[in-house]
Amino acid sequence: MSDTRILDRGTPPERFARGWHCLGLAESFGDGKPHRIEAFGGQLVVWQDTQGGLNVLDGYCRHMGGDLTQGTVKGDEIACPFHDWRWGGDGKCKAIPYARRVPLRARTQKYATTIRNGQLLIWHDVEGSEAEPDLLPPELPGVGTDEYTPWTWEVVPITDSHCRELIDNVVDMAHFYYVHFSFPTSFRNVFEGHQATQFMESKGRPDMTGGYGDAELFLKSEATYYGPSYMINWLDVDYKGFQTEVILINCHIPTGPDSFTLQYGITVKKPEGIDDKTAAYISKKYAEMFGGGFLQDVHIWKNKVPVQNPLLCEEDGPVYQLRRWYEQFYVDRADIQPEMVDRFEFEVDTTKANEYWQEEVAENLARKAAEEAEGADGATAGSESDSPSVMTGT
Amino acid sequence: MASFVPTSADTLEDQRLYTSARLTEVACLDCLARVGVKKNSDHHTSIQWSREARESCPELSRRDGRGRDYHQGCPRLLASIETAVREGQVDIGAEDGY
Repeated sequence: MSDTRILDRGTPPERFARGWHCLGLAESFGDGKPHRIEAFGGQLVVWQDTQGGLNVLDGYCRHMGGDLTQGTVKGDEIACPFHDWRWGGDGKCKAIPYARRVPLRARTQKYATTIRNGQLLIWHDVEGSEAEPDLLPPELPGVGTDEYTPWTWEVVPITDSHCRELIDNVVDMAHFYYVHFSFPTSFRNVFEGHQATQFMESKGRPDMTGGYGDAELFLKSEATYYGPSYMINWLDVDYKGFQTEVILINCHIPTGPDSFTLQYGITVKKPEGIDDKTAAYISKKYAEMFGGGFLQDVHIWKNKVPVQNPLLCEEDGPVYQLRRWYEQFYVDRADIQPEMVDRFEFEVDTTKANEYWQEEVAENLARKAAEEAEGADGATAGSESDSPSVMTGT
Repeated sequence: MASFVPTSADTLEDQRLYTSARLTEVACLDCLARVGVKKNSDHHTSIQWSREARESCPELSRRDGRGRDYHQGCPRLLASIETAVREGQVDIGAEDGY
């Protein structure tokens, strides 16, 4: 049976990706308390010092392994609950109140921090390199001002999946139809350097979303990963001729060999003539839609197996090239190969898929209409009406 | 050190097929860039740049790398690819999905 296709599950990487990782909204760490973030196979402690700066250290005290996230912020330092050793944001032990002197070697793992678009980002590299500001995601003009709604922010722990499953979605045109019930009409990818982009135009599937209105939902989406874990998704939404600009942040922190924490946030450019309350409502609705979309992905991930050798058809996106790009974050810097970072462009041919999907949607609508005509008192409609019709990027 | 390590030698061959097989070199008609092109159909296009090609392209070099226009293709290169296709220099059609 040598012609039987075998799934190569491969082995997961032994390290976590190099690059900037977002830990959450900066304001959520500013309450004078230590915060625990599970990350990179362990935990981090995050706290704000008296100057308002945010500090991130490995979460365990180098003395006897006490849990710093259960400690106390004292002045600028985090104090361990076990023996009150005081650690500064620079990674040095600043004081041991019961000791004559602090051992010179009392340094712990610190993480370079920066605030970008109201979010706390840290630099992670197992090789211990200096943080690279050039690799940060861009500032979003206007975000954080009165022009945009405040970020909504959600945190979703994911188990039994490596975060590469999330990355794969960048190139996965057809899953938007089957998993997210949206209908991609145009799909393109560009990878270069540390960036990977997905362009997509899509519309809602009228057969899956219940309301007639979703046939009038059109999306133009541009989603770029800046490094291994932080994606900005610019969305132009047209709903019945009403235009909205939405920005979605989709980021994650790896927590173990097959687990990660997904975080996503939404901000909406306040449409003219709409009050803040309505704008906040619109923003919340989009956040709910994307939240539902991610759950659809999670269900797939939890039940699938890892595949190193996906079998592709000619309508699929460039999975192998995306993974080649992603590999750059998992090898030593000296081992980054030119093809991992060289520019690559890919236009997916959606023609055949669109022909088939149009027919399928039409058939589903016709069947539904027939069922309703038979007086099937709405029993079949309920389960589908809460499915999100908007999903992009992943 | 590799990260996602395949456990089958066939996977390496798959990687080669999907990333580098059937690429045809196309030269830009306006600059010195030469890229690898694959067309699985009329509407599909795959373009593999090299660093040399990328540095030769004045259109892409003009962009600063931070803006969103960075991701748009070079219109001159796309026109050159269209010409090459029209002249029959690039085969159209996939081979078993790659």
